[in-house]
Amino acid sequence: MNVVEINDVYKTYHDTEVEVRAVNGVTLSFTKGDFAVIVGPSGSGKTTLLNLIGGLDQPTTGEIIVAGHRLSELKPSELIDFRMEHVGFVFQSYNLIPVLTAAENVGFIMSLQKWPKEKRMARTGELLEAVGLADRHNSRPSQLSGGQQQRVAVARALAPRPEFILADEPTANLDSKSAETLLDIMEKLNREEEMTFIFSTHDARVMKRARRVITLEDGKVVSDERTNHRE
Amino acid sequence: MKDRQLAWRNLWRNRKRTLITAASVFFAIFFALIMRSFQLGTYDKMYSDVIRSYSGYLQLQHPSYLDEPGLDNGLILDPELTRKLEQDPNVEAVVPRIESFALAAAGNRTQGVMVIGVEPERESKALNIRNRIVRYKLTPGAVEALKGEELPGRLAKNTELFAGEAFTEAEDLMSVLGISKKDSAGLLPLLRNHTSFPGSYLSAGESGYAIIGNGLSDYLEAVPGDTIVLIGQGYHGTSAAGLYVVKGVVSMPNPEIDNRFVCLTLDDARWLYGAPDMATSAIIAIKDGSDKVLTATQQRLGAVTGEDLAVRNWKEMNALLLNQMEADNRSGAIMIGILYLVIAFGVFGTVLMMMAERRREFGMLVSIGMRKGRLAGIVGLEMLLMGVIGVIAGVIASLPIVFLGHLRPLRFTGEMARMYEDYGFEPVMPMLLPDTYYLWQVVVVLLILAVAIAFSIRKIFKLNVINALRA
Ligand SMILES: Nc1ncnc2c1ncn2[C@@H]1O[C@H](COP(=O)(O)OP(=O)(O)O)[C@@H](O)[C@H]1O
Ligand SMILES: [Mg+2]
Repeated sequence: MNVVEINDVYKTYHDTEVEVRAVNGVTLSFTKGDFAVIVGPSGSGKTTLLNLIGGLDQPTTGEIIVAGHRLSELKPSELIDFRMEHVGFVFQSYNLIPVLTAAENVGFIMSLQKWPKEKRMARTGELLEAVGLADRHNSRPSQLSGGQQQRVAVARALAPRPEFILADEPTANLDSKSAETLLDIMEKLNREEEMTFIFSTHDARVMKRARRVITLEDGKVVSDERTNHRE
Repeated sequence: MKDRQLAWRNLWRNRKRTLITAASVFFAIFFALIMRSFQLGTYDKMYSDVIRSYSGYLQLQHPSYLDEPGLDNGLILDPELTRKLEQDPNVEAVVPRIESFALAAAGNRTQGVMVIGVEPERESKALNIRNRIVRYKLTPGAVEALKGEELPGRLAKNTELFAGEAFTEAEDLMSVLGISKKDSAGLLPLLRNHTSFPGSYLSAGESGYAIIGNGLSDYLEAVPGDTIVLIGQGYHGTSAAGLYVVKGVVSMPNPEIDNRFVCLTLDDARWLYGAPDMATSAIIAIKDGSDKVLTATQQRLGAVTGEDLAVRNWKEMNALLLNQMEADNRSGAIMIGILYLVIAFGVFGTVLMMMAERRREFGMLVSIGMRKGRLAGIVGLEMLLMGVIGVIAGVIASLPIVFLGHLRPLRFTGEMARMYEDYGFEPVMPMLLPDTYYLWQVVVVLLILAVAIAFSIRKIFKLNVINALRA
């Protein structure tokens, strides 16, 4: 079952005098339970592609279908609701709301979705436990390390059970030990919650952990390999 | 997490910025209110002084008197008309008076003066000249005598500072000298002994007496018991001259009046100017002088008098003073405008900084599914809270000062006082109690705030999520 379908998508930027084809004719699909990484050098279009999949931006041409929604048919405000309901985001940094505690951050999207309080609290507890931060419910982001902050961000993205989680270079600002821990947790959640993860990196260590590696170059997919290591 | 909790926590995450913004709103509203209170209080006092010591709220006049005052445009008050006017619910009494010019002389000094002829008893229904009789005065002699008394330091200094000032009540004297209620009992007899000043008000039926202003008394060096000469021009060009014994000295609030004030009985004034039965105008003493009631009363009375006579209100009679105050008011408004401009720039500066600093955060929030309208609501609420805290604090901080400044007006001494008097103002700055002007200042500040809020809301709606995240 396909969670995401990308059909011949182009994204062109005209901001500068030269035209930049950030995504240049990509056709791809992701299935439920994927643990896929998009790799490629800086400027190859990873962020742009993830933004398109997540409904943060619209393609210049081509079609993206997520959980049955044709994204090009959604109005801007509908796109915001679409993201809230179907997509989990983990960014490179500055993911958390600084004035909220770890638990409140994890509960944030669930409260946007108007989950009842008890269910929300239970889910928050379960996820903070899963990311190894059961004792940090009341810590503010500024009291957490970078790796801990990213784990809270993963928990927040996962909490309302979206269709998939998009993570744009989630380990870019982490030391290798924290990066390993984060990947361990993502892998575990991928397995236990059957959550689809699509993330990008240009870090070889991260790449090795994925079961599917998609390589981008100049906005084009140059390889799409499934590996079967570590399960 | 409720939106307003989120807004509240955001307020305290950059404490310094919040405090600076709230403080600039605080100072804007605080200084504007204090400035306004002084300004309006001064005008208010000037108006009520001139109304209660000189013009009254309403006057009955010959229609041409306003443009060409003088006995030639005077009137003979018909008792029947007086009776009709006094039937009006807001009218207390109709009191005829003569007002004209003369030259006053005593010893070898002369001064152009304004002569007022009044019915001593009835006059007090409209004006309070009777209550302005000077009973205590820091004459040079009194100051000398007090020096020999070994007064407490501050008191000794104040007696010199306020030398020459005249008082109608012992309480005023004490308050100006800075004597507390507690000490007054001990000092009062001593002060009374040295500073009492003779004199009393006119009484009906007696003739040949005058009451003069304190400033005029100083200038002519004429005190109660001395004689002054009045020379002027009477009705239809006759010559007018008379000798009067000073019976009392009054302290008039407006220095211009105080320096030129001579008051006779109406009969003496009629005799002096050769105009028996006449009056230049009649003061209509009323019960309620507030603007709306006054206008209505003026209209009703105008209908009674018909076209032969005019009913004028104090604004018409004091047009010059009003103009002067309005010009002053405009310059005050410009000052406050500049103050607000400075504050507006300050508030915008912090808003711009805040928006730039939180761009990424806003991008992240919209990405994960927060509607822009909701985000704008939270940010707007934060700014509103900051502003409202500043406004409330400013209003509260101004209140004690305004009340104190109203009860114990600032009184200038020395050079400053002389300067004020030269401009024709009493050197006193009372403050006006909170009134609609408070509301206006608050409205103006909230408007500035509303513009800043609208600006940041617009910014949020125009936020490009992709660019915000890349920043
Ligand atoms: N908003 C934008 N405006 C203009 N050019 C952009 C924008 N976003 C990305 N690009 C350009 O598109 C290309 C791909 O960028 P990006 O998707 O960020 O690559 P990556 O994430 O692989 O480093 C780059 O050349 C970049 O400069
Ligand atoms: Mg990138």
